[in-house]
Amino acid sequence: MGDSKKAPGTMGQNGNIGKTENKENFNCENTENIERVKTLEKYSGRTHILGRFACGVTLLLLVGAPFLIGKYLGGMPDLKAVAGGFVSVGLVWTVSSFVEFLVYTPMLGSGGSYLAFITGNLINMKIPCAMNARDIAGTKAGTPENEIISTLSIATSSLVTIIVLALGVMLLVPLQPILQSPVLEPAFENVVPALFGAMAYQYYRKNIKLSLAPLIVMSILFILVPSLTSQTSLMILPAGALSIILAWIMFKKEKTA
Amino acid sequence: MLKQLNSPVMYLICGCIILFVAIMCVVFLVRAYRAGKAIGMDPKILKRTITSSATFSILPSVGIFLGVIALSGSLGTPWPWLRLSVIGALHYETQVAEAAAEQVGLGKLTIQGMTPTAFSTIALLMSICIMWGMILSFFFNKSYINRLEHPKAGKKKKGKSGSSGFGDMAMTAMFIGLVSAYLGSYIGGFVSGKGLFTFSGTLTPIIVAVVSALVMAVFTWLAKKKNMGWLENFSIAGSMLVGMIAAIFC
Repeated sequence: MGDSKKAPGTMGQNGNIGKTENKENFNCENTENIERVKTLEKYSGRTHILGRFACGVTLLLLVGAPFLIGKYLGGMPDLKAVAGGFVSVGLVWTVSSFVEFLVYTPMLGSGGSYLAFITGNLINMKIPCAMNARDIAGTKAGTPENEIISTLSIATSSLVTIIVLALGVMLLVPLQPILQSPVLEPAFENVVPALFGAMAYQYYRKNIKLSLAPLIVMSILFILVPSLTSQTSLMILPAGALSIILAWIMFKKEKTA
Repeated sequence: MLKQLNSPVMYLICGCIILFVAIMCVVFLVRAYRAGKAIGMDPKILKRTITSSATFSILPSVGIFLGVIALSGSLGTPWPWLRLSVIGALHYETQVAEAAAEQVGLGKLTIQGMTPTAFSTIALLMSICIMWGMILSFFFNKSYINRLEHPKAGKKKKGKSGSSGFGDMAMTAMFIGLVSAYLGSYIGGFVSGKGLFTFSGTLTPIIVAVVSALVMAVFTWLAKKKNMGWLENFSIAGSMLVGMIAAIFC
C-alpha cells in the first residue's frame, strides 16, 4: 500500500503534509519577500522622483518670489548687493548646508531628508523629532522601516509647524501680546535647552559611556573659547565625529570580546 | 511700507508657496503610511509615530512662531511666515536678514528706511543663502543613499567583517554629539560667558535642560514601570513644557 492509501493521521502522511506545508510556507515567505522588495523598490524610486520634483519647484518658487514681490512693490532685487551679502554671510551657510546634507541624509533616509531640507528647522526640531519617532517605533537606521518612520515623522512635524504658524498668523493680533509678554519671554527663549534636556536623558541613559566624553570635551571647549557659543551649530560636526570615533572603538571592543 | 508688506497680495504669494509645501508633506505622509502597511508594519506603530511627532512639534513650532513675530516688525508678517514655514531655521533667519540689511545700506534690520528694492534684495538673499540643502538633495540624495545602502564591492566585504551593525550606533553617536554640543555651549556660556571662569553667565538654559531631563525621567519611569506606554507619545512635549515653565521662575 502506498502512502496515499494510508489512513489520515498516520505518521507517513503527516510527514508528507509537514513537508508540503514547509515547502508551501517557504514559497509563501519567498513570494512575500519578493512582493516586499518590489513594493520597496517602487516606493523608493517614486520617492526620489517626487522629492526632486518638490525640491525643484520649491527652489523655483522661493527664488522667484522676491522678483515677483519686487515687481509688485516696484523695486527689483539689487543683484550686486545680493552677491556682496552672499560672500559675507552666505558662504558660511553654504558650508553648513554641505555638512548638514552629509550628516543628516543618512539619519533621515531619502523621503525624510527631501522633506526636511525643504521645510527647514532641522537641528531644533526635525532631527530630534525623527530620532524620537525612531526610538518609539524601535527601528534601526538604514532599514526600510526606519525610512518609513522617518518620513512619517518629518511630514507630520512639518505639517504641525505649517498649521501652528498659519493659526498664529491668523490670530497674530490677540496672540502677540501674550506670547511676547515679559513673563513668558524666558520660557520661549529656552525651547531648545528644554528639547535637548529631554533628549539628553533619553540618549545619555542608554549610552552613558559614550555620552560622557563628548559632553566633557565640548563643555571644556566652550569654557575655554566662549566665542564658540555663537557657532554651536558648526560645533556639531566635531562633537559628532568624536562620538562616532568612540562608538566605533566600543563597537570593535564588543565584537572582539 | 509696512502696509504694503502686509498686503493681501503678499499673503497670497507667500500663502501659495506654503500651500504647495503642505500638499507635498501630505503626499509624502500618505505614501509612507501606505508603504509601511504594504511591507507589513503594524498600523498602530505608524499611527503612534504620527501622534508622537505631532505632539513633539507643537512647542518648538510655537517657538518658531515667535521668530515670525520678531521679524514681522521689520519685514511684515507674510515673508517671515513663509521663511519659517518653508526651508528657514529660527537661528538663521534673523542673522541673514540683519546681514542683508547691512548690504542694502540699512545699517540694521528695521522698517525705517526700508524701500521696495531693499526688501526684495533682503528676501532674495535670505532665500539664496540657505537653499543649498535642497540643491544637494535634488542632485545627490539618490546617489548618496544608494552608496550608503550598497557600498562598493571592495568596501562591502570590509563592511561585512567590521562595520555591519555599526550604522545604527553611528547615528545614535552623531545625535549624542549634537546634544553634547548644545549642552556644552550652555555650560560654557555659564562658566565663561562673561569672561573666562567668571561663573556669571546665564544659568537658565542649564536649569531648563536639567528640569526637562528630570521630568523626562519621570515620564520614562511611568511608561516602563507603571505600564503607561501611551505617555511616551507626550513625554518629550510634556518635559519641554515643564522645563520652559521652570525658565519663568529662574
